[in-house]
Amino acid sequence: MADLSITSITKRFGETPVLKGVSLDVVNGEFVSLVGPSGCGKSTLLRIIAGLEAPTTGNIALGGVDVTGTRAADRNLSMVFQSYALYPHLSVGENIAVPLRMRELNGLQRLPVVGSVMPGARAHNARIASQVSRAADMLEIAALLDRKPGQLSGGQRQRVALGRALVRNPAAFLLDEPLSNLDAKLRVQTRAEIAELHRNLAATFIYVTHDQVEAMTMSDRIAVMMDGEILQCAAPDIIYEDPDDIRVAEFIGSPKINILPLERSGTDLHLFGRSLDWHVTSATPEIMQLGLRPEALHLTQHTPRLTGRVVHFENLGSEVFAQIALDDDAMRVTLRATPAQRQMLGLGAEVGLGFDTRVGLVFDARGKRLRSVEAMVDLTSEVA
Amino acid sequence: MAVLDADLQPLRKEENRQARTAWGLAAPALALMILILLVPVCVAIVLSFSNYALGNPGFDWVGVQNYERLFTRSTYEKMFIATFTYVVTVVPISVGLGLGAAMLVHSLGRIGDIYKTIYFLPVMATLLAMAIAWEFMLHPTIGMVNRTLAMACGTWMEAIAFFGNGCADGFPLWLRDRDYAIWVVCFIGIWQGFGFNMVLYLAGLTSVHRELYHAAEMDGARSAWERFRLVTWPALGPTTVFVVTISCIRAFQVFDTIEAFWPQGGGPNKSAYVMMFAIFEKGVQQNLIGIGSAITVLFLVFVMFLTLIQRWLVERKVHYG
Repeated sequence: MADLSITSITKRFGETPVLKGVSLDVVNGEFVSLVGPSGCGKSTLLRIIAGLEAPTTGNIALGGVDVTGTRAADRNLSMVFQSYALYPHLSVGENIAVPLRMRELNGLQRLPVVGSVMPGARAHNARIASQVSRAADMLEIAALLDRKPGQLSGGQRQRVALGRALVRNPAAFLLDEPLSNLDAKLRVQTRAEIAELHRNLAATFIYVTHDQVEAMTMSDRIAVMMDGEILQCAAPDIIYEDPDDIRVAEFIGSPKINILPLERSGTDLHLFGRSLDWHVTSATPEIMQLGLRPEALHLTQHTPRLTGRVVHFENLGSEVFAQIALDDDAMRVTLRATPAQRQMLGLGAEVGLGFDTRVGLVFDARGKRLRSVEAMVDLTSEVA
Repeated sequence: MAVLDADLQPLRKEENRQARTAWGLAAPALALMILILLVPVCVAIVLSFSNYALGNPGFDWVGVQNYERLFTRSTYEKMFIATFTYVVTVVPISVGLGLGAAMLVHSLGRIGDIYKTIYFLPVMATLLAMAIAWEFMLHPTIGMVNRTLAMACGTWMEAIAFFGNGCADGFPLWLRDRDYAIWVVCFIGIWQGFGFNMVLYLAGLTSVHRELYHAAEMDGARSAWERFRLVTWPALGPTTVFVVTISCIRAFQVFDTIEAFWPQGGGPNKSAYVMMFAIFEKGVQQNLIGIGSAITVLFLVFVMFLTLIQRWLVERKVHYG
């Protein structure tokens, strides 16, 4: 168990830069998710942490010791692969035992048949067997120990891969999209189990995923990566409620956040030409973007800020999402409503939408968050 | 009950009809197999108990006399020694070299293709033509091999016994020497055959999951040998069973090198008198169909035995995944 610190890592594959200076500090026992769309470099970063790939520049330190030049086998990290990477010719028990056999037995003791009669092998083997059964009990796969990976279901293989990772005591666990090959139901269940495992082991977890739901539900902190950079690294609620960048706001949250064009004329902010009673200084840019989460919008008949027509409707039981084509623009916004409001949201129904300007997220034209502009709305409403 | 039977009747008819169609469809293949495989084998077995010769109006049954000869006469003892020496030498070395070459070629990028072609060339070449080239090279006095060896004379290498004796009494006669002849044939067999094994292993290597090597590294497999033991070798299990079986059968079948080198009798003092050549000599050249058939039957038994071992290994030990 150790702190992990990544300092300005860059990585190029030939001429293509994959990572452009990534820095991240993970404290002991933390669960950090690396999340981003495919091709953002998150898996490459994980493989650099593991030591399977060498960074072009930058440093990795584990527990204060620089391990940039240390090979993967000597870093004392465990990894769970997306394909599970189980050895197909070994049984489940033998698969889980591999990391222990490789580290604790010498070459002679590992020989088939004669290995077990080598001096010292008996004690080692007994210890390995007890550690394997402990790991198997923890993951409830004790009944499967004699089977081959080919005879297991996807979920069981996933557990074996986890078992192989946690059978020894690594400095950190690295997980590379471990749930992406499971079906939806199993994914939800395993998600909870991995989170629980993390609490029980109190070990450092680095978890790579493209699924923002996994990141949101399991992590202490989420690092949102895009185009080879970490855009923001913070707790899930901060990432959701207080994103630094429009790309973070758009990536996290399902359905996606609504982005509307915001214009300044004089000291007044306008949305589709209508004033928002939001006074700002003349130093703010003229063109900005307003981000509104689906739950920030509400249905209203009284002086709606937006009007439109329902074009699509998704009933999830506990909540309802409606896509509304705005009258002012070809744009669509998504609204979250309660099941009670369903009858107002028939297809083609004309609706008016309102929102509280205080929950809006303001970004500049290039997507950077403008917290100073948001601060001015509070002043305005206090004056009013 | 009656209702049930009435329901089942058409079902049974349907099943019968399907079975007839199946047999009908399999019939051509079955007929061919019986005609060109099983009948000749049976004929060979029958003839192996006779003294039949082509052109004779009749023949006598001689019982197991042909087989008795096979196991008592010194010519056939030499035949077994030559055949098994060849198989036991060529199979492991050509499989090992094939695997080694495949792994080296696999680790290269584009240059690997050049090596692939070079190693595969002897497989494609006509062995008869190659044998003539080898015969020239191995000629005791004007051959390239002995001339190259003679260049070591007068240098420190004479301290090595082989060169010392060679420089004093002349280098081996190779194809004319009964101690060397079979080993020369083995060498050519390996040289000619390992490229084929390499290609089979290359195909096997492409199916090894790359992430397994990363998993092995994470699990603490530090040396290339450990990664080979943990990942590559088990993954190549099915390929190895196939390669070994094919190599064994090819080794048992060795004929053309020996026919090209010694058309008159299987090497100096019959030291390279392999089974295939014996079948050819007895059955075709000397028209002794009975003894030729007996050797053929024995040959079939060996090959059958190998195939059965392969089946057993495939079903029992080797993991296909």
